[in-house]
Amino acid sequence: MRLLNVAAFFFAVASALLLYALNYDTRRLESELQAKERLADRARSDIAVLKAERGTLARPDRIDDLARRLGLGPPKPEQFAYGREVSELNERRGSADGR
Amino acid sequence: MAVDRDDVLIRGATAHMVSGIGARAPLGHSEAASGAPRRRAEAAVYGILFSAFMVVVGQLFILAVGRRTDIALAISEPVAATSFSRPDIVDRNGRLLATDLEAPSIFADPGVVLDRDEVVEKLSTVLPDLNASELLRALSDRSRRFVWVRRGVSPGIAQRVHDLGLPGVSFRYELKRAYPGGKMAGHALGYVDVDNRGVAGIEKYIDDKIGVDPVHSAVLSNRPPVRLSLDIGVQHALEDELDDAMRRYHPEGAAGVVLNIKTGEILASSSLPRVDPTWPAQTLNDKRVDRMMGGTYELGSVFKALTLAMALDEGLAKPDTVLDVTKPLEAGRFTVTDMHPSRRPLTVTEVFTHSSNVGAGMLALQAGPEKFRAFLQKAGLLDPLQTEAGPVASPQVPQRWNRVTTITASFGHGIAVAPLQFAAAAATIFNGGKTVHPTFLRKFDAGTADGKPLISAATSHQMAELMRANVIDKDGTGSKADVPGYRVGGKTGTADIASKGGYTSNAVISSFLGAFPTDDPQYLTFVMLFEPKGIADTKGNRTGGTNAAPVTGELIARVAAQLGVAPQLNVVRQ
Repeated sequence: MRLLNVAAFFFAVASALLLYALNYDTRRLESELQAKERLADRARSDIAVLKAERGTLARPDRIDDLARRLGLGPPKPEQFAYGREVSELNERRGSADGR
Repeated sequence: MAVDRDDVLIRGATAHMVSGIGARAPLGHSEAASGAPRRRAEAAVYGILFSAFMVVVGQLFILAVGRRTDIALAISEPVAATSFSRPDIVDRNGRLLATDLEAPSIFADPGVVLDRDEVVEKLSTVLPDLNASELLRALSDRSRRFVWVRRGVSPGIAQRVHDLGLPGVSFRYELKRAYPGGKMAGHALGYVDVDNRGVAGIEKYIDDKIGVDPVHSAVLSNRPPVRLSLDIGVQHALEDELDDAMRRYHPEGAAGVVLNIKTGEILASSSLPRVDPTWPAQTLNDKRVDRMMGGTYELGSVFKALTLAMALDEGLAKPDTVLDVTKPLEAGRFTVTDMHPSRRPLTVTEVFTHSSNVGAGMLALQAGPEKFRAFLQKAGLLDPLQTEAGPVASPQVPQRWNRVTTITASFGHGIAVAPLQFAAAAATIFNGGKTVHPTFLRKFDAGTADGKPLISAATSHQMAELMRANVIDKDGTGSKADVPGYRVGGKTGTADIASKGGYTSNAVISSFLGAFPTDDPQYLTFVMLFEPKGIADTKGNRTGGTNAAPVTGELIARVAAQLGVAPQLNVVRQ
């Protein structure tokens, strides 16, 4: 019985130490988790801002203006060609080059 | 307990040694007699301890598995106001139209504020439009611990308030709706209130049907974005062309829509003057009403597309049937005439291309009031229409259908509908005759299976040919809408504007209903100009053929390729 008592005593002390260590470990992990969550929130917020900025920069009216300054515009019907016409054109160019 | 029991046992042993063998039996009997209840007591105590231990274990298990995050929130945010995180809104190609951003909000704690007058005075230097008297009154109530000063300010303003160093004035981050496209599609998108709750348009639809999440701080939504049918490239082209029309023809307003005939998807919808979703107060201005959905108008001759579709489908006439339109049509106290009276009878095709009111009236009368009304009902023009962007203004229809109302409705007078509702009915005519329900949401199961038949596919094809004839015939009213290669068809409309006791003599709504490519119509456009002015280019005319038709032509030339419509090259190169 004495042995049991001594064992129980040491078990209780060991449990207390373990709990103490676990407690601090949990707090540390919790703090790390909160830091990571804050980081993730920050990243999410940054992504949202960047998305909005990209949306603003990609506004069609802005792109339209920039494109027209470069001499670009909506494709005209005469700028279209059938695939076979392009092939024939390439073949004619090839034969003109002597290939 | 163990120590006491050992003590008893030791004392028992000592007694045994002193009293010798003879005393052994009574003592052993006594131990046996008292041991049983003691063991029961011990067992009971152990049982209680074990139960308590299991309760603790159980509670720990529930906490570990359950993760009741609201407990932590309840402790840390006792006075937090609730706002809502919303999903993004994107166009059909995933381009951003609306998103949530974190924005600082300023609040004050009256219990901590030392000098109320100083706080209000200094805040007013940074926020000049602050309601000083109201804030002063709120800060006077010391029982309150939370008073909003201004929500959703820019980081620069927040920094300037922070630099004032006022005790009791603090910040918290909240979600604020941002619209990267500015005013683009502002009417359709709608707007949100200060708590980020949808109030109008698609934003309200999100609250009602898709869902938003209440949050206590700036937590962005995890919901997938809401994908609209709008294409911001087409939307921009439409708005740009309408802007151009506003500069050229000086109308009071303009509106337009581009609709996918096969699916009912609205690719672009605009009403000028525009509204900025970040400034909802603008929508209260009558001039900025969404003319596509929020108002009803007598649309004029574009209605003839419906009248002729009914007449052809009912077998009342064929495209080459001749009608005597040389004489005016008497309708009660009115006399119906044509804008450009013909001195000869016209075929049904010519009634369409010459936009003859008399001819349209005659065809409607052949059907009769009941049949004509039933046709318009089946086309969805007489019942209220609902879209994701909100309810469409209810149509104003004649209370009794008689000869007069049948004649006037045949050319788009005496019946007022929202332009979007008319566009959907017109799309039905070119969708093989199956009804089209307009939608602002992207449809991934493109098809016409759910449409109810209104007219036959053959009549639908005939109508597409009539529309094309109106654009390519030398006498057609819609020739200015033609775009080489894209087979544009259309119908013009020039409607007098109703006023008290009749119609105004000097103001019209001019419009053009377009469809392309007419060999298999895919897209429908409807452009309207409200009270355009006659200019030198139009020789002073204000008809749809002189202003709305060329606007439509410019629009189709810009968007046809974006929409994947290939030009017919033999037409272009002839």
